[in-house]
Amino acid sequence: MSTAAETRAPSEVLPRLYAGAAILILWQVVVRAFAPAYVATPLGIVAAIPHVLTDPAFLTGGVTTLLAVAEGLVIAVLVGTATGLVIGRSTLADRALRQYVNAGYTLPMIVVLPLVSLWFGYTGAARLATVVFAAVFSITVNVADGARAVPHDYIEVARAFRSPPWRALIEIVLPASAPYVFAGIRLAAGRALIGAVVAEFFTAIPGLGYFILYNSRTFHHNEAFVAVLLLAAFGVGCDALVNWATRRYLPWYRRGEHVE
Amino acid sequence: MAWRREFVARHAPAVLSLVAGMAAWEIVGRHTDAAFLVPLSETLERLWQLAQTGELTRQTLSSLAIFFVGFALALIVGAPTGMLLARVAPLRRALDVYIMIAYATPLVALIPFILSLMGFGFAPKVLVVFLFAVFPVLYNTVEGARSLKPELVEVARAFRSSEWALWREVMVPYTLPFTMTGVRQAVGRALVGMIAAEFFLSSTGLGQLIMNASQNFDTAGVLAAIIIIMILGLVLMRIGRMVEQHFARWRV
Repeated sequence: MSTAAETRAPSEVLPRLYAGAAILILWQVVVRAFAPAYVATPLGIVAAIPHVLTDPAFLTGGVTTLLAVAEGLVIAVLVGTATGLVIGRSTLADRALRQYVNAGYTLPMIVVLPLVSLWFGYTGAARLATVVFAAVFSITVNVADGARAVPHDYIEVARAFRSPPWRALIEIVLPASAPYVFAGIRLAAGRALIGAVVAEFFTAIPGLGYFILYNSRTFHHNEAFVAVLLLAAFGVGCDALVNWATRRYLPWYRRGEHVE
Repeated sequence: MAWRREFVARHAPAVLSLVAGMAAWEIVGRHTDAAFLVPLSETLERLWQLAQTGELTRQTLSSLAIFFVGFALALIVGAPTGMLLARVAPLRRALDVYIMIAYATPLVALIPFILSLMGFGFAPKVLVVFLFAVFPVLYNTVEGARSLKPELVEVARAFRSSEWALWREVMVPYTLPFTMTGVRQAVGRALVGMIAAEFFLSSTGLGQLIMNASQNFDTAGVLAAIIIIMILGLVLMRIGRMVEQHFARWRV
């Protein structure tokens, strides 16, 4: 919604700070006035931060969850990019696989939880599988779009120079669809994070999601909310990272020509 | 008969791969533990049973009620708020970071809080669907209304248009197609919200169908419910895309 240049202008920063302060004050006052004592408030959350950050359950949980998300994302990017390239460049593969990819993309990933926990047990493997499932299809769909959009002339030139098709795929189609890969990763990161959290809710394996579940059930809402903040930071961080990488490595790709 | 050859070439790979997929499911299902996977035929039989007892219709309607109420609220709140933010620039500049943060946060993490604050029942589930759906609508509306050309507003002003007429004649028609892109994106998220609410709040609807089957180690029941949800998802997504395309016609 904002570019980096906008963010740095001081006239833009002050209204945001005021609005942030207003939101926090409103939250504090409304919860204090109307809600039970255990409900999270900004001051309560700040007070909870020191002991949450030294809580081993939070630290190991945070590390395992975020590592699982990262690992799942890497697998999803590799698999999704490979399948996306093939689907985007081969009409046959497109016609044969499209309905599976669309079905996987449309299916709310959360419904696979009972199956995944049946197949992998109530373990970290179930979480990883959920993360991969949640993330992979958005990458495949985006990369296939990107591979389809590669200008025909590029392929013609490669063919004229008698380049084998797989080299054209790796050296021409892949770089040309890079913006789509990045857009896919951006979408996938959000879905992967959701996948990890719901998998932990469902299987009750230790992690950030389970930390939230456990603490909110025992009415430690302030503590639980610290974990929500970490998840939010990770989500925003992924977004910012992909935006930065797009600007840094794909400067020819104009922002605004947005791929969804 | 060129068109016929074209027709075969277009659809044969899809049909063949679907048949192969179904055959693979059937064969693998017959040779594995029933707790792991059951054959397609058994799944379809289970699906037929669910349809006959009327449970399928009942649970689907119960889920759809949550979906549509939550979705309607997201649209009613998201679209006007988005236009207001676009029209009042200082407000937008002050709030856009927070909207972006809320958009990037996995909102499922809020479900345990909603559970302990609002308990079981219809309202908390609607709230979950609303939270999942509102941000794509809001975000796309703001982006759309922001791209409104200042000339359009200036012309309206030059003709002494009132604020109300400006909204009715310029803002709303211009922004609606963008809002509808948000609606299309929100469908998928709202579906996830619906099932998440039915899993993690009190179990009702299609979520209950899956949960019960899974607790009884009724793999056929789990797969049957997943098929239903997939079909529901495909239908709702298709409707979302049709709505988007309908409004996209007057997009400039």
